[in-house]
Parts: sequence; structure tokens; C-alpha cells
Amino acid sequence: MNAPLNIDVVQILLHMLNLVILVGGLSLILYKPIVKFLKQRRQYYDDLEKKHAEYEKEYEKFESEKQQLLADAEAQAQQCRQQAERQIAEMTKRYADEAKARADAVIRAAEDEAEARKRSILESAQTEIGELVLSATQKLLQDGANEKTDSALYDEFIRTANAADGKKKK
Amino acid sequence: MRLRENKKINPRTVILIVWLCLIAVLVLAIVIIGLPHGEKSETIKEVMRDSVLHETNRISLFGLQVNPALISAYIVTGVLLLFALILRIFVIPRFKYVPGRFQTAVEAVTEFFTGLADKNSPHKPGFVGAYIFSVGLYIFFGTLFELFGIQAVTTHGTGISLPAPVADINGAIAVGVTSYLVILFAGFIVRGVKGGLGVLKDFSLPVSMSFRLFGALLSGLLVTELVYYYTALSFVLPVIVGVLFTLLHALIQTYVLTTLVSIFYGEATEPKLKKEKTKKIKKGENQ
Repeated sequence: MNAPLNIDVVQILLHMLNLVILVGGLSLILYKPIVKFLKQRRQYYDDLEKKHAEYEKEYEKFESEKQQLLADAEAQAQQCRQQAERQIAEMTKRYADEAKARADAVIRAAEDEAEARKRSILESAQTEIGELVLSATQKLLQDGANEKTDSALYDEFIRTANAADGKKKK
Repeated sequence: MRLRENKKINPRTVILIVWLCLIAVLVLAIVIIGLPHGEKSETIKEVMRDSVLHETNRISLFGLQVNPALISAYIVTGVLLLFALILRIFVIPRFKYVPGRFQTAVEAVTEFFTGLADKNSPHKPGFVGAYIFSVGLYIFFGTLFELFGIQAVTTHGTGISLPAPVADINGAIAVGVTSYLVILFAGFIVRGVKGGLGVLKDFSLPVSMSFRLFGALLSGLLVTELVYYYTALSFVLPVIVGVLFTLLHALIQTYVLTTLVSIFYGEATEPKLKKEKTKKIKKGENQ
């Protein structure tokens, strides 16, 4: 079976048999398990990367939601502040108005009271003056009183009293 | 439908059966062709000629006289399979997602071949990856094997240092032919008769692959021999140069053969575009 260059078909076949055994054996024993492991690991890291991307998306979503919430809260707070300021202004005005009204009422009452007191003082003063006049008159009368002067004085007194009464009624 | 589902055979079982059948066919062919056909001896006159052609110094393998390279081939295969088995049992189950140094090295070697298969044969990278992984390791460690200088006894009773498996023309032809057959069958299986015939047209492929491999190893061997000759008095240089040459052509030949096989495999399994589509594309390009 020898040919030039010492080519031998049997030995070629023996080498081929050796190769087939080697290829089959190494593929099954070594290559496939390693490739399987490498694929598993690649899958694991791909999954991790996907999860990471998902978490990142979720984080971004939460972040935007948080920003939105913060903005909403800020707007709400601003609104509340403005409303409170308005309410405070209204209340202040109302209190001021009430205080002014009360002050006016107090002043009016004081004025009325003062007027009433003045009037009563005047009345009491008139009574006292009348009494003084009466006593002075009595003294005068005691000095020079008679029936004529007495009746003239009583008449004068009644006229004066009637005149004063008429004024009061008017 | 149920019957059909029951009849489905596991693809792994099919692959295993095909593999065992292939081994059985090869064993049968060896037994039939290799039975004693009388004496076949040639006188050798030059040591160099014998180192190249392995015509004289033969070794008995179960009564069959074979070249020393064949013994080397079986030893390399045995060692590789044993190492693979040890890795499979003790190392691979303990692989971690964050690898250590050894695991990184194993992964790097595997990923080199899977990467080559994915790049050159993107449509069907599965089997060719496993094939070039195995053949690549075989050529690399087979070439380095000659550095160990393992001794064997020839049929003449003299001692001989076992050479690299593919330094023998028969070993190189076996690698070339097996690679060609792998590509051919892949063409037939993936693309049918057209694919197979397409590969058949490249009948020069096994010859070119075989002789490229053989020639490369032979040239490396001859250059190493020359360096040994001229620096015979040195104790350091020949060793360094010899190791470097062996290592270098082991790497180069592994890379060249695995790249070639993956490229041709990729071509054989590449789905062809229909003519109409091609015409349309061409028309589109012209416009």
C-alpha cells in the first residue's frame, strides 16, 4: 500500500481514526462543557445588565416622579402661602375695622355719657341756684315780707314755672 | 402527532451513533487494507531522508509496522483525552463566574477557537468550533511533543526519538483529508447536494492543506536541524532556537489550519442568495 513519499493508506486511516476519536472525545469531554459554561456566564451577565438597565429606568422614573412631586408640593405650598397671606390681610382688615367700630362706639358712648352728665350737672346746678334764690328770697322776705309781696312772688314763681314747663314740652 | 413526537431521537444520540459508526468504519478499513501484504522494505541511506520520510525506522503496532509519528499521534491523543477528562471531572465543575488564572487560560483557548468559528463561519459555527478546537490542540501539542524526545524501539531494535505526529506525511494527509471531509459533509448537510458539489469542486483543498502542514513542519524541522548543525559546539543556543522554532511553527500551523478550515466551512455552509434577489441588488447598485 506504499506510494511515493512513504504515503501509506493504512497509516492515513489510522491517523484519521485517531483524529476522529480525538475530535469526538475532546468535543464531548472538554469543548461543549466549557462552551456551555461560557454561555451560562454570558447569560448571567446579560441578565444582570438587563436588570441593571431596568433598575436604572425605574430609578429615573422614580426620580422624575419625585421631582414632579416636589414641584407639585412647592406649587401647593406657594398657593397655601398666598392664601394664608390673603386670609391674614383680610383678618387684619376685619380686626382693624372692628376695633375702629368699637372705638367709635366707645367714643360715642363717652360723649353721650358726658352730655348726660353735663345735663344732670346743669339740672342740679339749676336746682341749687333755685334753692339759693329761694333761700335768699326767704331771707329778703323775712326782712320785708308781707301778704302782697308774698302773693306777687308766688304768682311770679308760678309764671316762671309754667314758662319753664312749656319750654320743656316743646 | 404523538407517534411522531415519540419517534423523535435526541440529536446527541444521533451524533454519538454517527461518531461510533465512523470509528467502526475506519477500524474496519484499517483491518481490511492493513493486513500483511508481504514485505515492504526500502533501504535508507540518509538520516535526513529518514527523518523526513520515516521509511526505515518503523515501530510495531499490534503486529503492524507503522511510522513513529503514528505512535506519537496516539500518545498525544491519549494524553489530551486524559487531560480533558481530568479537567472535566475536577476543574470544570468548579468553574467560577470570576475566573482564576488557570480557568482564564482554559477559557481563553476555548474562546479563541469559538471566536474563529463565529467569525469565519457565522451561519453554522457549532461543529466547526469543536472541530478546530480539537484539531488545533492536536497540532499544537503534537508539534510540541517532539521537544520531549520520548524514546521508542524500532523494529530493528534501535532506539528512536518520537517525532511530531504531523511531521509524517501520512499524519498531515490525515488532517487535511479529515478537514476536507468535515467541510464536504457540512456542505451536503447544510446546503444539500448543491453545497456538497460546491465543496467537491475544491478537490485540491485536502492536498493543499496536507502539504502545507507537512511542508511547514518539515521546513521547521530542517531549519532546526541546520541550526543544530552550525551551533554544535554551543550548549545553549540550539536548545533555545530549537524550542523557539518548534513553538513558533506549532502556533503558526495551528492558527493557519484552523483559520483555513473555519473559512472553507463557513463558505460551504453559507446560504446563497437567490438569483432574482442578486439581479435586483445589481440593478439597484447600477441605479
